[in-house]
Parts: sequence; C-alpha cells; structure tokens
Amino acid sequence: MARESLLVTTLVELADNLVDSFDVIDVLTVLSDRCVEALDVDAAGVMLASPGGELQFVASSSESMRVLELFQIQADEGPCVDCYKDGRAIVNHALTDPDARWPRFTPRAIAQGFRSVHCLPMRLRGRTIGALNLFRTEQGSLDDDDVVVAQGLADVATIAILQHRTSLDARLLNDQLSNALNSRIIIEQAKGRVSQSTGCDMDQAFRRLRTHARNHNLGLTDVARSVADGTLDSNMLDLVAETSKS
Amino acid sequence: MIAILTLLDKRTRTGPEGGRLCAVAAEVTEQSGAGIALVSEGGELTSLCASNMVAQRLMDLEITVGEGPCVDASRSFGAIEEAELLSSQSSRWLAYSPSAGTAGARAVFGFPLCIGAICLGALSLYRDRPGPLTDAQASDAYLMASVVARAVLAMQAGAPRDMIADELVREATFDFAVHQAAGMVSIQGSMSVGDALVAVRAHAFATDCTSSALALRIVARDTCFDSGTREWRDAEGATPRQVA
Repeated sequence: MARESLLVTTLVELADNLVDSFDVIDVLTVLSDRCVEALDVDAAGVMLASPGGELQFVASSSESMRVLELFQIQADEGPCVDCYKDGRAIVNHALTDPDARWPRFTPRAIAQGFRSVHCLPMRLRGRTIGALNLFRTEQGSLDDDDVVVAQGLADVATIAILQHRTSLDARLLNDQLSNALNSRIIIEQAKGRVSQSTGCDMDQAFRRLRTHARNHNLGLTDVARSVADGTLDSNMLDLVAETSKS
Repeated sequence: MIAILTLLDKRTRTGPEGGRLCAVAAEVTEQSGAGIALVSEGGELTSLCASNMVAQRLMDLEITVGEGPCVDASRSFGAIEEAELLSSQSSRWLAYSPSAGTAGARAVFGFPLCIGAICLGALSLYRDRPGPLTDAQASDAYLMASVVARAVLAMQAGAPRDMIADELVREATFDFAVHQAAGMVSIQGSMSVGDALVAVRAHAFATDCTSSALALRIVARDTCFDSGTREWRDAEGATPRQVA
C-alpha cells in the first residue's frame, strides 16, 4: 500500500477505535504496528509515565521477549527516559558501544540487531505523558517526512488516550494512565495462561487474545481479564488467521 | 518512589510490616490516617492494619456494614474519593458515612491494590477535615498503593521480615516475565493467577533467586509447577514443547 493511503487508513482505524470505550493498549498496539508499516523502521513501541513519573511499557509491534526487554530496561535509562524528561524528540541516534549516555540500554539494543533508535514525545498542551520509540536494524537515517509522520501518529495516540476526558484534569489523567499500565499486566498474565494452555509462544498468545477481541467486538483488556480470571478458557479463543502478520 | 522506599526501609527495623506500611502511607500522602484491607477468595474484606485508632475504627466499620472506600475501590479496580463525607449531597454510603463521621473522619479515599487481574484489597486514607486530595497527594497515593500491593504479595509469599524493603526496590520496575510466569503457573497448578504469583515469589525466596530469574526459567519451560506432587520441578534435558 502506498504510504499516503496507509496513513489515511491508519487515521481512520485509530479514529474508529476512539468511539465509546476503547482499549488503550489495543490502540497503542495499532499505532506501533502502523509505524513499522508506514515508516522505515523495524520495531516500534510506546512507553507511558506512571502516576509516580516512571516510564512503563504499554504496547509494541512485537511481543517477543527480545524486544520487550529493550522497553523494560528503559524504566531506568534510555532514549525514552531522556525524550520524556526533556519533552524533545531524539532522531537518528546511532547506537554504538560503548555508550556513556545509556550504558545498559545500548549494548542490549545492539545485541538484538538494532543500529539506530528514535524517540518522539507524546505531548498535549504542555504535558508529556510518554514516548513513542522506533528502532532500525539498518544504518542510515529516517528522513524528515518520516519524522513528521511519526510525530503525527504519536499526537493522534496522545489525543486518543486523553480524549474521553475533556479536561486535562491531572487526577483523571492519573487514573487513566494507571489503568493503562495495569491493563498491560493483565495482558501479560493472560499471555502466560494462553501460552501454557495451548503450547504457543508469547507473541502468538498475544495475537490470539487480540484476534478474539476483534472478532467478538470486545476490548483487548476485557478479553485478557476474562482469560486471566478463568471465566474464558484459553482454548476457546479464536485462532489467528494464517495470513495475519504481527 | 525512592522516598517511599527509603521511609519504608527506615521503619523495616521496627514494628510489624502492616503497621509500618499504614504509617508510611499516611505520612507520604499527608493524611490523618491510613488502613489496609485485604480481599479474601470469597470477596470478603479483612483488615490488615491501620495507622491509628480512628483508622482502625473506620476499617472495622467498613467491614461490619459492608460498604465504604475499600469495598468500592477493590470492586471497581479504581480510585474512590469522598471529599465531603458529611455533606447532605453525599449519599454514596448510607450506613458508613454518618458512623465514619462520628469516628472522626471528614474525607475518605480508597485506592485498589491491583496487580493486573488480581485485586489484593485496598488502601484507605482518611482526613479529619473535608476536601479533596491535591494532585501531588493523589499521585503519591497511587504510588503508595502500588508499593503496598507488592509488599502484601511479598508477605504472602513468606518473604523474610527484613527483606521486604529490599524486595520492593528490586521489584520496583514492571517485569513482563513474572506476570507471564504467573499466568503459566496458574494453568500448571490449576490455581488463580494471584495464588500463582504468590507461589512464584515464594519459590524464588525459598531457592534464593530473584523472581525475575525464576520467571524467565518458567517462561522458557525449564521449570514448572507439578500439579500432581504440588511441587516445583526442572525439565529434564531439552524442554518438550507442544505446538498448537
């Protein structure tokens, strides 16, 4: 698909998700997936700030442990932390070891095959709520258009998170973020149950949860909670169609 | 976060865990008192601790009448705020509110102790003057609830008394593998995810490794909980793996 049409489709898809009660994790996973498709990047993910101001991972284009690990490290240090603190984008940062700036993050990212990292703040009316993180396996840089598109997608996602609160009331925002972060834990618990019950890996487990939610018009977190508390049997989840791609 | 953990660590050396947690919760959020209630399997609340007599009375009252901030917070998985407990407009808790007022509270707040789909209970705060929490106090209360949830879990898993604060520091960041492992173990042992999380932590303590390290072995299928013997065992050689 040409990039313009992909972007239009993405915006419609995101807008479509925003009606009524939408699932924050699902929306941010869509955002991450579309970044990988529309931009010249190989992995994308979103970290949001907890009410205590610490960054936590919420969504990614890949659920594999090797990618998730790179987000986990960034609770302490890494491009997301710096981008979130300064509220400024980090673009085309080449990863080279040793790295005095991020001594733990950089060697792990290189070990996973990534060569450059990019981070865009998720910001609305002066408040930064998190960061969109992009990884490339190739040398070379993102062009200006890519950066504009990425920031645009990050802005849409930020509005998505804040939208069903008309005011930027700090308390409601805290509630919202704290819910999003807890949803992520529910999803991990559910992934573990699906993986154990059906013998699949964590990435497939996530896709089954998501496919089931889509097929039955349910929220991703709601499906995950039902699986985690045992009201929905993992074996009853819809199978992922062969053609689908993470 | 660091401030809370430091406070908690200071008090680790004195008093039982519960009382310490409540005292720190009240201090950090600048309220008159705090209490922690746990939810049992059947959904019943039990009191774990309270920071003073009024907080204890409020907790007892809530358990007796079956309504109040802890009940609502743990059922809704969301924060509860009743800033004007004695206002005539306030009709949220017909039995609880007037008696809580008599006990000395003018504003009460409840924060759920959630870890994903698990709800362990709630942290309640009260103040002897009406009015909402400031944004900073509310942020600190969310943070405190997350620390309390982890501490309660560590206690249930039988963490050594003087190790709980250390455990909290180590487990301060979100760890995917631990929650995935809890999900897997819940199926292996036919138990709830909450019990599985406690079992993972307890086994980590017993074998002197971190729960992250143990969780990675569980996720890699190198260690599992045997439903027959109710014991942990390591996989022999290569882990047999079914394909869906």
